[in-house]
Amino acid sequence: MSVEPVTGMASDGGRSAMMWRRGLRALIITVFSLLLVIYVAGPVAWLVSSSLQSESDITAVPPNWLPPKVTFDNFEAIFAPPKREVTYETRRQGDPATGRFLPSGAENLLPSLWNSFAVGMAVAILNLVVSMTAAYAIAVIHFKGRRAALYTILVTRVIPDIALIVPLFLVMRQLDLVNTRFALVVTYLAVTVPFTIFILISYFEQIPRDLYRAARADGCSHWQALRFVYLPLSLPALVASVMFAFLTSWNEFIFALILTQNITSQTLPIIISGFVMDFTTSFSFINAAGVIAIVPPVVLAMMFERYIVSGLTAGAVKG
Amino acid sequence: MARIRLDGITKRYGSVTALQRLDLDIRDREFMVFLGPSGCGKTTTLNIIAGLEEISDGDIWFDDRRVTFIPPHQREIAMVFQSYALYPQKSVYENIAFGLRLRKVDEATIDAKVRAAASQLEIEHLLDRKPQQLSGGQRQRVALGRALVRQPTVFLMDEPLSNLDAALRVSMRALIKKLHIAMGTTFVYVTHDQAEALTLADRITVMRDGVVQQLDTPDAIYNRPANRFVAGFLGSPQMNFVEGEIAEGPDGPAFARGALRIPVDPAVAAGQGGRKVVLGLRAEDAVIAEGGPLKGQVALISPLGSEQHVHVATGDSELVVRAPKDQRVALGETIALAFDPARLHLFDAANDQRLGPQT
Repeated sequence: MSVEPVTGMASDGGRSAMMWRRGLRALIITVFSLLLVIYVAGPVAWLVSSSLQSESDITAVPPNWLPPKVTFDNFEAIFAPPKREVTYETRRQGDPATGRFLPSGAENLLPSLWNSFAVGMAVAILNLVVSMTAAYAIAVIHFKGRRAALYTILVTRVIPDIALIVPLFLVMRQLDLVNTRFALVVTYLAVTVPFTIFILISYFEQIPRDLYRAARADGCSHWQALRFVYLPLSLPALVASVMFAFLTSWNEFIFALILTQNITSQTLPIIISGFVMDFTTSFSFINAAGVIAIVPPVVLAMMFERYIVSGLTAGAVKG
Repeated sequence: MARIRLDGITKRYGSVTALQRLDLDIRDREFMVFLGPSGCGKTTTLNIIAGLEEISDGDIWFDDRRVTFIPPHQREIAMVFQSYALYPQKSVYENIAFGLRLRKVDEATIDAKVRAAASQLEIEHLLDRKPQQLSGGQRQRVALGRALVRQPTVFLMDEPLSNLDAALRVSMRALIKKLHIAMGTTFVYVTHDQAEALTLADRITVMRDGVVQQLDTPDAIYNRPANRFVAGFLGSPQMNFVEGEIAEGPDGPAFARGALRIPVDPAVAAGQGGRKVVLGLRAEDAVIAEGGPLKGQVALISPLGSEQHVHVATGDSELVVRAPKDQRVALGETIALAFDPARLHLFDAANDQRLGPQT
């Protein structure tokens, strides 16, 4: 009796100290998680919020985190622009402070959205077709020079893009491809294909070699082995490469700036950056354009998210 | 159905030579087993027959068709792997049907063949499952089914039973033997398990370091091993080896080591006095018997239920002999061993080759 309370107290003290420590750890994790969320989602939230405000509400001090008065004027200006030209003389009629301000070039926004989308889809699809066949060849077929091929492909990515711009522009001009979406597709493929090949090679190499042997013995040509065995088992990597290629193309600025000079081929980043003008800059309008710019990638990500799963090869070989 | 001929096959990986001028003639409908330790080139040879490995030199023939440069999918082979290698995204049914679908066989025929194979392998109730829901033995049956539904020229198996537990291995062995009889196809089977090789094979090719050591029937390989390696690789417990020399005596030639004298077959050793040799003695070829020529102390007894293995220390070497389970021996006891001179094996100590008639 005289000993037990002592040990009891000691263990109680230990337990409460442990719980306190555990609580502290949970608190720290929560705080940092929240900070991370704010860091990542904050700008997007502000983008969406400000696209629904008038210019005067945006520029108010202190800023309005939520729109005091929700307005769709900015989106209306994009999708149903008022039929008038905004010039130096007439710009006062479209006073940014009152909203419905239309920068010159605003009518290019929707065509450029289409350009971006077309280029992005072409890059995503062609990137996959080229990369998966190349990766299969390097990962699966033990041909002579496969290592050299792999290193050559990777080395091309060591060169900074900026060093390639002038030569690329000259080549494209010589080929009469400046101001075409095709030029952008070809250029972006040069950026995405090496990375995608690299990702797919490491994925293909994880697929048990015996599955390849089984497929060939069953009667698959190389093409059929790729189609029926490697691709179905690589879905997550394929989806990731589609996303990667599309986003790279969607966000690319510097090549597009140099290689395209009119609306037949200019992409969204180029047009939006053009809205920053000498005399007036309508932040609310730019932010509305920004919201439109993030919609396609988000939709794409949501569509493909469920394919990014692991464990596809479970049950293939012993285990 | 085909005779398979390997003609001077050489396989090099960079500077490493895996196979050196391998000649092999596998008869039509034969059950051929490649036996050897890992790295001996047996799987490489199998892959070469399948067309999955390019060869550095030589030719392969299926009957009169030269297939050296024919890709695997046009060779009409079927293959079963140690790892089962089932397509994880496909159901059991689709795994088995896959080879037929690639050949554009009509749906009714596919269905009939898949169900027939499944019933033969007793996996009909598993047809809708995915491979990861199956046990190892079930997976291997599916893999067999995948090969079974086609009419392959040759049935290739790469250690198909090595991942299964012992009891299952024995029953699957019997199943494979039955399949061979039922299909009437040439089987080539790779294993490192000598018991599998002896039970299944019509003929066994024993390989080591890319070189064929002996190619013969299981009986010949077991009873007349061509060299010390083959002798040691087959048989459990391993054959006993004792180094010594041939001594000519008044009673004919004998194996001599120190004071030990064991009479040997004159047909093998006559006139070879002084030659350095290795004596080979299988555990089951010696009996513990009063008055035997070889004496020693019992060093260890391993009871196995149906029999016992007795380790006998004689001079500086230790022999393992097989004894009936009811024979009473005690540790440390001095016993005598007797054996039939005709059952002894003699190998040249210099090159490990068998002395006397080879076959």
